[in-house]
Amino acid sequence: MLVFPGTNSEEETVRLLRAYAGEAELVHWSRARTLPAYDAYVIAGGFAYEDRIRAGAIAARDAMMEPVIDGAVRGKLVLGICNGAQILLEAGLVPGGSNGRPTAAFTRNAPNGHFICKQVSVKLAVDPQRSAITSSLAPGAVMPAWAAHAEGRLAARAADLAALVDGEHVAFVYARPDGVVDDGATPNGSALRCAGLVNREGNVLAVMPHPERIYPQHSPLFESFVRAVNAP
Amino acid sequence: MIDVALHADERQRIASALGREPTRVELYAFDAQWSEHCSYKSSRAQLRRLPVSGEDVVVGPGEDAGVLRLGEHDGEFYCVVVAHESHNHPSQVVPFEGAATGVGGIVRDVLCMGAQVVGIADALRFGDVSDPAGHPRHVARAVVDGISAYGNAIGVPNLAGDVHFHRGFDENCLVNVVALGIVKENEIVHSRAPAGSSGWPLLLVGKATDHSGFGGAAFSSLTLDGASEVGNRGAVQVPDPFLKSVLMRACYRVFALLRERGAVFACKDLGAGGIMGCSAEICAAGGYGASIDLDRVNVAQEGLPAEVIAVGETQERMLFVVAPEMLDDVLAVFNDEFSLPQIAYNARAVVIGAVTQEKRYVLVHRGERVMDVDIEVLTTPPEVPPPRYDPIAPATKTTPGDREALPQVTEALYRRYDSVVRGCTVLPRGYGDAGVVAPIPGSHLGVAIAVAGDPEIGSHDPRLAAEYAVLEAVRSVAAVGACPVGLTDCLNFGNPTKPEHYAQFVAAVDGLVRGAGKLNLPFVSGNVSLYNEGARGEAVPPSAIVACVGVLEDVRRVVTPGLKAAGALLVAIDDITELQRMMADDRVAACAVACSEGLVPAVARMAFASAREGRALGAELHDAAPDDGFVAFVVEIAAGEHHAGRVVGRVVAEPVVRSRDRREATADLYAAWSERLTELYA
Amino acid sequence: MKRWIAVRLKLSDNTAYTALVALRSTGIDVAHVERARLVRAEGVSEAAMIAAVERDEAIFNTHLHEAHVREADHPQAGEIWVWPRDAGGDAWSWQLRDGRGAPLDTATLRRACDALLCNPAIEEARYPA
Repeated sequence: MLVFPGTNSEEETVRLLRAYAGEAELVHWSRARTLPAYDAYVIAGGFAYEDRIRAGAIAARDAMMEPVIDGAVRGKLVLGICNGAQILLEAGLVPGGSNGRPTAAFTRNAPNGHFICKQVSVKLAVDPQRSAITSSLAPGAVMPAWAAHAEGRLAARAADLAALVDGEHVAFVYARPDGVVDDGATPNGSALRCAGLVNREGNVLAVMPHPERIYPQHSPLFESFVRAVNAP
Repeated sequence: MIDVALHADERQRIASALGREPTRVELYAFDAQWSEHCSYKSSRAQLRRLPVSGEDVVVGPGEDAGVLRLGEHDGEFYCVVVAHESHNHPSQVVPFEGAATGVGGIVRDVLCMGAQVVGIADALRFGDVSDPAGHPRHVARAVVDGISAYGNAIGVPNLAGDVHFHRGFDENCLVNVVALGIVKENEIVHSRAPAGSSGWPLLLVGKATDHSGFGGAAFSSLTLDGASEVGNRGAVQVPDPFLKSVLMRACYRVFALLRERGAVFACKDLGAGGIMGCSAEICAAGGYGASIDLDRVNVAQEGLPAEVIAVGETQERMLFVVAPEMLDDVLAVFNDEFSLPQIAYNARAVVIGAVTQEKRYVLVHRGERVMDVDIEVLTTPPEVPPPRYDPIAPATKTTPGDREALPQVTEALYRRYDSVVRGCTVLPRGYGDAGVVAPIPGSHLGVAIAVAGDPEIGSHDPRLAAEYAVLEAVRSVAAVGACPVGLTDCLNFGNPTKPEHYAQFVAAVDGLVRGAGKLNLPFVSGNVSLYNEGARGEAVPPSAIVACVGVLEDVRRVVTPGLKAAGALLVAIDDITELQRMMADDRVAACAVACSEGLVPAVARMAFASAREGRALGAELHDAAPDDGFVAFVVEIAAGEHHAGRVVGRVVAEPVVRSRDRREATADLYAAWSERLTELYA
Repeated sequence: MKRWIAVRLKLSDNTAYTALVALRSTGIDVAHVERARLVRAEGVSEAAMIAAVERDEAIFNTHLHEAHVREADHPQAGEIWVWPRDAGGDAWSWQLRDGRGAPLDTATLRRACDALLCNPAIEEARYPA
């Protein structure tokens, strides 16, 4: 698990990974040279480099991301939550296929850019097998999570948005607790009601709301991720 | 030169204590250290009346934060650390930065006790926000932006708080912040140089010192008017939550490292009075002196005058006293592992001086001794005799003051605060009368926090308002099933040299003494903010703001306000002990504080919470239900269950709130009561 | 008349500092980075426009900011204007200079944008004419 300066959700995220028997370690920015040795990467929530310039912008270009990008290309699993998701989009890893250039962003909430802290439900919107990370989830699984961001609205140019739909990149959408998907359940005006995006190959997943903040801690998504990492 | 806030006779006293005229730096140093803000020189005599001891008190008032016993987990004894401060003046002048640095400061107060910071709370008092172009409206918005920006970034959940609007705050908003931490009882760090530390290095850690925040301590002891706003530009404190987030985590690492090695050390945050105030207090508290070379301080710009380096209030700085043999490892954590110099310009940990056996406070700048005084004189400011005043007679009226037109739903405000970061939040802000966290991973021990203080009552009767603030904060904590264990207070008043303002302050202390005495609870930390008056000499409504800390043995037994089952009874309970008895027997399905606002708002909040909890039940109050402002709690209990209260209504299957003359859909009430804050914050 | 007003921090700008460090790490030879918020103002005179901006407490605080009228409606040498594609966001000016204080050429400004200062999915950049 990567810890950038400004990451603030590292403890609860690593705790939940370990609860599902993930052999997770925090790797601090000053210890980044150990990163290539890991099998999978998690980028936790927070404000890496204070989200200066744009959410995730500096972290995405940080030397710490090089082993993550190399690993992702070689098929290692990468999960980004909240700020981690913003970083994956800024790094061009999700949706990917753009030579490292961002083609979408989780950006300023609509209508007024305010931070919002609200419990939401997210629904799996692709076949669970679309991504190894979601492969243990039930089809259409609905899970609670906390939206806690000022920049969580998916935005992209029209052609790129269409490509997200066509390429089945929209892994999670906001929904009501009973699974009905509607705009009222979307806390931030996100395009396509998107709460999470997956890359083409299915090994990199960016999710905006925080499953790890539900108390007491439990998350089918984290469980599925750890299971995929631990799979032989 | 700033217009120093010291009285002429104090200047005289400094000169006679020194046996000579003070140097320029000394004058600034005494100005800060003997300011109201640092010294409580006008209020100390009154504060001594507050109850401060009790079986759960580990550290009472006097250090940067109070410490209360929490409980045992895995053979270790844990404590809650709590601190409470105001940042009123800065928030009026530069609302975003003022409020943000208020959070930054209170977090450091808890951090320096060796604790992990696990929550914050805020009590906000704003003026009339109806003028779209008015300063009060801007203050109300920017303060919330500032708290949100800082607290969210450092990753500390905002658990509780309240907000009131009153014309009396047009020229002086109140921004009170509370921070909570946890620490093992045997790992509490004190802000005093340890025994045997003569010669040990003084390690300054954090942001490069600059000219920001210069004159802050004196600033907060001045009355706000146009002239001093211009004159105090330098006092603007600049927040850097990014650096703070890293600094906080680096401090956790250093605490762990020093504990692993069994090393004793001291730590204190830099607040009012800057390097001088902090180093003088930490050394004096241990019975030592200090010698500091200002040229060793990491600065943001060259050529800063000695007094700016010495007393400026640059944010995000801490001071450590560590044994010489630990020094290299501690420096490595801050400067290499957490790479402070890469996080902000010239941020770092650096040795700036040493603890001395001789009880002098010495500052050297460019090879010259610019300050050399008796450290005890510096850190023991004279008390100021109170003005002659007519005590405010206890009010004959025993009902609360005028109520605001509509109760307030504050969702639009608290959604702006991260209430769940750390993954430990059991009851987020707005989900109950108190916020609850389970701060120790693997343990079900919980900490509850609530704040209270009603300016409407205060403007009529400061004594009653203070007493009510205690009762309401305590009840709020009890309502979620926690056992109240300790209090903090922040006393926000006008100019203590004016008899009528001083009398209000004294009356409020009476109220606190009375309220806390009734409940047998101690004050473990607090703060006094005086001179909250505007250009026309009008003070803010007397505002004793109280926070209560509660302990839950098992957070799985937390009680929420949400109505649980149609047909259940709604019962009014007046006595906190009775409530606790009922909760211990698992008879309480839901609970809300009624206090001064009355029954209808209380049961309405229970209906709102029911909707949030996915049940969407309603409440029906009996025609004969009392609504005299003296009901403490409304609880839901199963029909037929034993109780000692008065039945006031029942839970109904539809989402409505029905009382004598009205029947309203829960959603409509929610929208109506949300209007003001939605318009302001959503 | 209408003008762009640049609102700049009087105190040290952490974001500009971070941008400088990050741009240098991508190999761009830049020594100074300055950032200002761009606000559109209308008024009878420049002084009136400045006054209008300074009255808006949401973007201007006299303790923290200073405001200047930009004469031209486009970036000057060494300057990039970054625009949000959606309404509601802020427009920013970035001024980049080398070690001798000279403005960076437009080709280098484009590299700086591609490398960091602009995310084309949500922003567009304008360069000196």
